[in-house]
Amino acid sequence: MSHTVREERGSLVVSFEGDVDLEYSPTARKVLLDAVSQDRNVLVDLSGVSYIDSSGVANLVEAFQISREKGTGFALVSVSAEALRVFGLARLDEVFTIHESLEDGLDGDA
Amino acid sequence: MSEAIPEPAMSAVKDSSHLASGDFAGAFALLAEMTQGLAESLDIDATLERALERIVAHLDAVVGSLWLIDEETEDLVCRASVGSRPITGMRLPLTQGVVGRCVRDNRCATVLDVEKDSEFAREVDEQSGFVTRSILCAPLSFSVRPLGAIQIVNKRSDDACFSESDIHPLRVLASSAALAIANARMAAAAVDHERVRRELELAAEIQQNLLPSPLPRPFPIHGVNVPARSMSGDFFDILPLEGGRIAFCLGDVSGKGMNAALLMAKTVSLYRCLAKTIDRPGRLLSILNDEIFETATRGMFVTMVAGVYETRAGRIRLANAGHEPLLRHTRSGEFEAIPAGAPPLGIARRGEVPETEVQLDGDSLYTFSDGLTEACSKTGEQLGSKGLQRLIARSTHLSLAGRVDAIIGFVKGLELRDDLTLLAICGDCDCVDGRVNAECVLALRIAASVDQLRKIREAVREAVESCGCSAECTADVVMAVDEACQNVIRHAYGGDPGGAIELMIERCGEDLVISLRDFARKVDPKKVKPRDLDEIRPGGLGTHLIREMVDSADFVRPESGEGNLLRMVKRIR
Repeated sequence: MSHTVREERGSLVVSFEGDVDLEYSPTARKVLLDAVSQDRNVLVDLSGVSYIDSSGVANLVEAFQISREKGTGFALVSVSAEALRVFGLARLDEVFTIHESLEDGLDGDA
Repeated sequence: MSEAIPEPAMSAVKDSSHLASGDFAGAFALLAEMTQGLAESLDIDATLERALERIVAHLDAVVGSLWLIDEETEDLVCRASVGSRPITGMRLPLTQGVVGRCVRDNRCATVLDVEKDSEFAREVDEQSGFVTRSILCAPLSFSVRPLGAIQIVNKRSDDACFSESDIHPLRVLASSAALAIANARMAAAAVDHERVRRELELAAEIQQNLLPSPLPRPFPIHGVNVPARSMSGDFFDILPLEGGRIAFCLGDVSGKGMNAALLMAKTVSLYRCLAKTIDRPGRLLSILNDEIFETATRGMFVTMVAGVYETRAGRIRLANAGHEPLLRHTRSGEFEAIPAGAPPLGIARRGEVPETEVQLDGDSLYTFSDGLTEACSKTGEQLGSKGLQRLIARSTHLSLAGRVDAIIGFVKGLELRDDLTLLAICGDCDCVDGRVNAECVLALRIAASVDQLRKIREAVREAVESCGCSAECTADVVMAVDEACQNVIRHAYGGDPGGAIELMIERCGEDLVISLRDFARKVDPKKVKPRDLDEIRPGGLGTHLIREMVDSADFVRPESGEGNLLRMVKRIR
């Protein structure tokens, strides 16, 4: 499990790699909260995430809520079908802004 | 006397003219012939006519008549007559005539010369225009009961008078005819009886078909019904539903016989129909109650137990309308009665029957009709609830079906007063859901720690894939197990790293049964609730996801020791 944070066209791009599970989610939470605290649009790249559990989803929800309060953008990109299904079951697919690719995310509102 | 003799009688007389009256050898030959004729035919009138012709001919009489008692009017009715002026159909009161006297006394009556007898009924002569000189009359009786009499009038020879020696052959021939009449009547009654019996047999067959067909064994519920007569007023039903649930009922209609059987048929049919859509037994019984109340004959009612057994949770929801208390037999050998919560069905309109929830915890539950507890020994002692408890206790080593069969087998040997019905529900783990030949595909004991979760997911993925599951199905099971393990680590053990998790995945036909066992303090299942999804907040999603990923997830009591056992089932086809 690993992550990277980089700046691209004024947005922060947080990329996770591997399984976002209960073991890793404290780290993931820290990375996400850190990113949304910087008053910039945040794109979370999930292309390398094969598994995300409820604690991982919870981290995304928490970060999303903070950016909304701040009025900054928060979007997910390259979400796997499995993760999309989990979002759907939690009815979060209607809450999150989800882009198919990083390019779309950088071009978009986020 | 110038009586013309009718043709058949004439020929008969000619044929047997060699026989002198009182010729016993001839009488025997005639008797044999007549008896055979009587035995071969069930057409009583035709047979009697022929028998009478033979008798008249044999005794050389001019006319003869056969009279039978009309059971409705108690008159004598002439059923056959031989002579030129037939009197068949004529009626005589029992109080009149020589024939009347013969039947009343049930013994031979003779008037060798009518001129000398005051009792002679002259009306017959007046109606027929016949001049009677001499009468012989022998009773037709069967096992002392008079049926009628045979009368012969005027001897063809001599001075038209019979002699004493004519009496014996007439009596013998009359006895044989009486036997034939009784035989024909019994045959007619037997045909009637046979028709009713066949109809009853058919009705009983239809009724037995209303009871459930045998289920694959071992099945966690087993029932038996033994009707006291051909038709039963008792019933039971077992109906497997989706999600490992089984609906069942047992009931007893008031009264016995056909009317009870018809109400039974109605009740059990309505039950089967309703149980498919109504989950709550209390509501189901209330609907049944109103239906029976509206349409059943007043004074008839039904006592009934209905329930739904959630096999995966080991939980039963019960509703009991006026029926015998259910008997719970615990694994430690104690008995506990679960009494009725409402009056019987069909007495008055009313609301829902209260429900009781029973956590089976591996115990067994018995419900039965009172025919079972009221069965009597030879000394007149009723089996009673205690007797039934003894029978249950001594059969615990048997399978569920074996137990029911052993108990019913014993009770059938007693004196039965009513229909017998017994239904048993087994909470033993080895036949939960009726699952047999479960194949273990994964068994793990692992530390309850977050750094073990990846290992668990990998093991589950491999095991589930080995069952030929689709990628989506595999992902579902992996996630359900992962989320359930998280709950154990975070909530049951509260983050304490010393705990252990036991995970077992079994394949049972088209189901994967996943058992997740921990040894932490008991979790209150009511507090483990999926969150409201309209409220967007982090956390609380795990339980919701588990419920979405598998077909059922319930806490069941572990077989032994402390802790929790979560049983999840995933349909893989």
